[in-house]
Amino acid sequence: MERRNFLKVAAITGATTALDHCGHPDHQLIRFIPEEDLTPGVAEWKPSVCTMCPAGCGLLVRVMEGDAEVVRNGQVGLMRMGLAKKLEGNPNHPINQGKLCPRGQAGLQVTYHPDRLAHPLKRSGPRGSGQFQEISWGEAITQLVGRLAPLRSANQSASLAFVTKPIRGRRRDLMEQFLKAFGAPPGISFEAFDEAVLRRANQLSFGRPQMPTLDLARTNYIIVFGADFLGTWNSPVAQSVGYGVMRQGRAGSRGKFVMVEPRMSQTGANADEWVPARMGAEGVLALGLAHVILNQKLRPAGDMSRAGSLIKGWGEGLPEYTPQAVESRTGIPAATVTRLAREMASHAPAMAIIGGPPLAQTNGLASALAVNALTALLGSVEKPGGLLFTPLLSSSPIAEEGSRASLASFAQIQTLLEKAPGIQALLLCDANPVFSCPRSAGVREALEKIPFIASFGNFIDETSVLADLILPDHSSLESWQDNVPESGAPEGVVSLAPPALHPLHTTRAMPDVLLEVAHQLGGPMATALPFKTLEDMLRTTYGGLGGGKKHDPKEDAAAWDKIKADGGWWSAQVQPSAPLLNPVSHPPIAMTEPEFDGAEVDFPLHFLPCASQMLLDGSLAHLPWLQETPDPVSTVMWGTWVEINPKTAGQKGIKQGDVVEVKSQHGSLRAPALISPGIGPGTVAMPVGQGHEHFGRYASGRGANPLAILAPMIEPETGALAWAATRVKISRVGEGRLALFAGGLRAHPQDEGQR
Amino acid sequence: MSEKTIAQINEDLLRPVLQTTRRFWIAMLFLGSIVAAAVGAFLYQVWNGIGVWGINRPVFWAFDITNFVFWIGISHAGTLISAILRIANATWRRPVTRCAEVITVFALMIGGIFPIIHLGRPWLFFWMVPYPSERQIWPQLRSPLAWDFFAIGTYLSGSLIFLSYPMIPDLALVRDKVTGWRKKLYTVLALGWRGTPKQWHRLETGMHIMAVVIIPVAVSVHTIVSWDFAMAPVPMWHSTIFGPYFVAGAIFSGIAGLIIAMAFLRKVLGLEEYLLPIHFDYLGKLLLMMCLIWAYFVFSERLTVWYGNESAEMAVFWSTQRGAFAPMFWTMVFCNFIIPFPLLAIKRIRNTITGVVIASWAIVVGMWLERFLIIVPSLSHKYLPYAFGSYRPTWVEITILVGSNAAMGLLYILFSKFVPIIAIWELKVGSHKPVFVRKQVTVIRESGGTDPIAAEPGLLTTDI
Amino acid sequence: MARKWGMVVDLDRCTGCEACVVACRAENNVPTVGEDQAARGRAIHWIRVERYWEGEFPDVRLKFRPILCQQCDSAPCEPTCPTYASHHTSEGLNAQIYNRCIGTRYCANACPYSVRFFNFYNPVWDKPFHLQLNPDVSVREVGVMEKCTFCVQRIQAAEIQADAEKRGLKDGEFNPACVQTCPPKAMVFGDLNDPESEVARLARSNRATKLLGELGTKPNVTYFEAESWEE
Repeated sequence: MERRNFLKVAAITGATTALDHCGHPDHQLIRFIPEEDLTPGVAEWKPSVCTMCPAGCGLLVRVMEGDAEVVRNGQVGLMRMGLAKKLEGNPNHPINQGKLCPRGQAGLQVTYHPDRLAHPLKRSGPRGSGQFQEISWGEAITQLVGRLAPLRSANQSASLAFVTKPIRGRRRDLMEQFLKAFGAPPGISFEAFDEAVLRRANQLSFGRPQMPTLDLARTNYIIVFGADFLGTWNSPVAQSVGYGVMRQGRAGSRGKFVMVEPRMSQTGANADEWVPARMGAEGVLALGLAHVILNQKLRPAGDMSRAGSLIKGWGEGLPEYTPQAVESRTGIPAATVTRLAREMASHAPAMAIIGGPPLAQTNGLASALAVNALTALLGSVEKPGGLLFTPLLSSSPIAEEGSRASLASFAQIQTLLEKAPGIQALLLCDANPVFSCPRSAGVREALEKIPFIASFGNFIDETSVLADLILPDHSSLESWQDNVPESGAPEGVVSLAPPALHPLHTTRAMPDVLLEVAHQLGGPMATALPFKTLEDMLRTTYGGLGGGKKHDPKEDAAAWDKIKADGGWWSAQVQPSAPLLNPVSHPPIAMTEPEFDGAEVDFPLHFLPCASQMLLDGSLAHLPWLQETPDPVSTVMWGTWVEINPKTAGQKGIKQGDVVEVKSQHGSLRAPALISPGIGPGTVAMPVGQGHEHFGRYASGRGANPLAILAPMIEPETGALAWAATRVKISRVGEGRLALFAGGLRAHPQDEGQR
Repeated sequence: MSEKTIAQINEDLLRPVLQTTRRFWIAMLFLGSIVAAAVGAFLYQVWNGIGVWGINRPVFWAFDITNFVFWIGISHAGTLISAILRIANATWRRPVTRCAEVITVFALMIGGIFPIIHLGRPWLFFWMVPYPSERQIWPQLRSPLAWDFFAIGTYLSGSLIFLSYPMIPDLALVRDKVTGWRKKLYTVLALGWRGTPKQWHRLETGMHIMAVVIIPVAVSVHTIVSWDFAMAPVPMWHSTIFGPYFVAGAIFSGIAGLIIAMAFLRKVLGLEEYLLPIHFDYLGKLLLMMCLIWAYFVFSERLTVWYGNESAEMAVFWSTQRGAFAPMFWTMVFCNFIIPFPLLAIKRIRNTITGVVIASWAIVVGMWLERFLIIVPSLSHKYLPYAFGSYRPTWVEITILVGSNAAMGLLYILFSKFVPIIAIWELKVGSHKPVFVRKQVTVIRESGGTDPIAAEPGLLTTDI
Repeated sequence: MARKWGMVVDLDRCTGCEACVVACRAENNVPTVGEDQAARGRAIHWIRVERYWEGEFPDVRLKFRPILCQQCDSAPCEPTCPTYASHHTSEGLNAQIYNRCIGTRYCANACPYSVRFFNFYNPVWDKPFHLQLNPDVSVREVGVMEKCTFCVQRIQAAEIQADAEKRGLKDGEFNPACVQTCPPKAMVFGDLNDPESEVARLARSNRATKLLGELGTKPNVTYFEAESWEE
């Protein structure tokens, strides 16, 4: 009896003690009343929009209830709330049709990231030290208003700058209206890999300052100059969906995909034919193909297309672009040029696409115009199986959208830097020019001098670390989403969704903060933005969508509910709310030779930064899921690499994993070497994404940033950064380590001497 | 062997048991601390996870299973010497039998611990034991690891019997020579041995049965251990040669281990008169034979692999011949053949104890390398080259390896402290030719009368 | 007839984007291990996209192949497990029973596809990442083997729902996470024993191949090799 009792007591005490410490922190946590009504164990799927890249795919979020440790009214406690468990593509969304790319899948990690900013902060140490102290929202908004109001009253409204990552839709409109009412210049849209050159070319060639939509599902032939369209470029999920159909979705018909690029990318691996043209000579190749088609009359002559007329010599049949001349300028055999031209002309519908590195050259615009002319020659512009443009529904005139979109990020930043001495206040929203611009541009040094910087982003990064005031936005799943995708669907799309989750932290929606500030600033600002929240604004402007023009409140309400439930609204019947831009007159362009920074004798290798499939432009480097997913081509995890051809590596005594120094005229970096057969002897490539100094625990102090050592070469007409126009030299520094997931390089081990 | 008196034999062979030198304590302390470090390393691993080792995907087994196979291999010394030579009536084996049987038992124990050590969740090792669990689930008997459990368990119990059974007369001898707590201990251990003819008869019969039974058990044990590899579809594992190859290798390494142990004992316990060069010579000859057999198996296997040129196998093959594992491979060939063969084949060298011992050390190192080279290159190069990998040990694995060797030494020395390491009665039997006597034994009846009882023919008599 | 789950992966559609890798990680609570452990070969990717180079620059090709547990009919991992942790289910899946696994790692050695992964340490989710964990999938502890289950939690949920509604399962009603997210729709999943299902239909195609089929594992994942273009 005694023993049994003893065992019982011991067991119960032990169990209680164990349970006490299982999942319960040391202090007793109070439990808050839930803010929402959820059934345990049952998942709700809520629509949302993915914000990991600009494509704007539609999401469904799996929300299930669970206990989260939250802070409410300054007190820590447990709250039963809806938690996001999984993201899937929204099957009804025209852009991604139920599919989602790896970055979209990893979006879950943003909301629950340990480094996410949970409450407003005020700088407490020297600028850029990363020292902040927590303040209340009331204080934060008061401070912000306190810095902005004097600018207005002193007639210095123009000294306010707003730099944001590219956003579209009402959120952007709100921002622009805020700035306009304030009297400040329009917002600066910044991203590392902006495609301003392509938008400008599309504006000139087709009257559409817009990224193209590729009708891959119905095409028979596509030649792609540099665009990583199955990985990171434009609308990758939509393009991948179409690609799948192009390959095996049509009985008896399998389209051909030709890839022109200097280095094997994940997209290029899927090509039927891989064409490593010289860097900067892609436009020449396109014109060579056009030459063959024109001269052999492989396509009906028709009117001289507007796109063709932009090319010097087009009307004469491009006499300088014979296959032999093209061979000497591009390195591609003349016979190949002739054959490809014949193939694409005889396999309609066929199209030519350009994007990425070829546009990041000093002759990028010319190359883009050349490729556009080729597509026009193939008769595939705004035709099934060809190049389409998504009808844009926007309340602002398309001209404004378009001119906004075709301003190169780098040009806008350079303008900002020129004006920086006069800038009194800078507002930041998820843009990181300190990281993404070449160090020689001096972004950090210029921004540091601005008296007041406030940031709305969710995370501290290299740019927002300079802020004096942090007003953290909700995560995208916690926010009203509205997006008007620029490309990816043949029909007009408005993505719209209410927040899928209640806010986890003490954050506030950025648009709502701007509205509050406008309200407090009063006067014309309050009049211009009479909404309390973004939701109000969305409701007012989108409520009539799809419900006819009658503005019947009940119909509107039903339509609004349907839009929210679907995650948006889409229709092929959308007419752009403004007419197409009138043709801009532009003198014909000649294909110029690309200029590269650094004399070949001192800097013998071309330097090719590549958008990383997982980390994109570095903005996703803070997510451990993406850090640990092996890069598709190199299989590297958690690191940077310098991709070097085996011969080049052999000449310099570089072995796999050795640390090499890459030096341009404007900086140097060190990273481990990856010996790869996918790149030529005259080029080295590096993924963009690592090399952060201030970006949370998973990204900081890791790897190297190739963008930092770029030369500030630009495409002259748009001012876009020619990020593929830098030359470098490399040397071995010592031994290093690569976290590779793959062991062997080839399917048959006898084919490789070493790994 | 020079004629020694019984008393002299007793004195020489009981000295280690009856007297404790300072050297003993130093050895205990030294080896004990290494073993303690290994135990500490193991506990560190249990606490943190197998991650503290160097294994990874795809090399999921490395030092752990190398050690396991190596020690089980070493354990085959006893069987060969004791059982086979006993059946073959090779009398020279007599001073050597217990040395060998002790190696077997301890090597099996140490080897048998490694399957527990290598588990991801070692606290659940008992699920390998077939007991009626409340979940009504038994071990999965198609698994070679389950066979390992039974095979090693059987071999261990058999070897324990094989070792402890003939220990009894010697334990009785010690019992009669000691006093105090030791006398109590040995009285218990001696199990009431009086040296009667019937007891001797039982002993001999039992030994004969065990000798016959233990041989197939030993052969099956290392065959089953080899099937841990051969049954899996891994390039250069899935080979029919593994059974006999491993058994040969085991005997090979076992004899080498025995020679080393004997040389050590000879020096340290002053047994130069008992463990003679001729013993090393005979064992050396056996070792030479095993060396040739081992070389034959390795050559056959590698020749057929190379000739067959099957893609996956060739990746493994080249990695050992000229790839990352080549230095180890050629060291192994050196240690297992190039050094020992001349040392053992040339009679003049084989007749020196030093020569044979050098060969044995080389072989023991070489055989450990051989086990490693069977496991790791194959796992590093399976069928999908994308999944190729590599391996490097950490301090935890190295500590455990060193600790296992120290444990062997520790256990061996401890054993020789408690039990005469050379079977005294066997030695004495050997020094006198067996005689068939018809002896008259007089029994004194209780009533006072006497009865002559004819002695059983063939009964050995010894003076004790 | 009992269901038999199978998959078809069309390598001509697969673009190598690795959406499947991240989707699987999210759905199945697969932990990340960090740079140091990843460099030491301990990264866990239940599905991975293998890549193989052919040739030398400029005549170089790169090929992708997603590889996940093939749920072999004759799985070499099953007879080798001494505790029945690797176990064949009545619906043709190779189940890994976590709480039965004692971590001998024999199954991982036996698997020719190298699709089995081991928890070398206790998995860690820095808070509040743990809020994202899928409650339908158990989290594995140190010393336990894990691998693709064809999202068995989704299979079970669908079967339970269908039983509750007293109906059969519709082809395509649900999919494992990888199949669901794959943008070019390279993966198809379903009941091989249902002759009308898409996966059964595709598995009969003359493009069907099996990876390492010559080893006799009888995998239930069928691959369609990439085709080449002909004029």
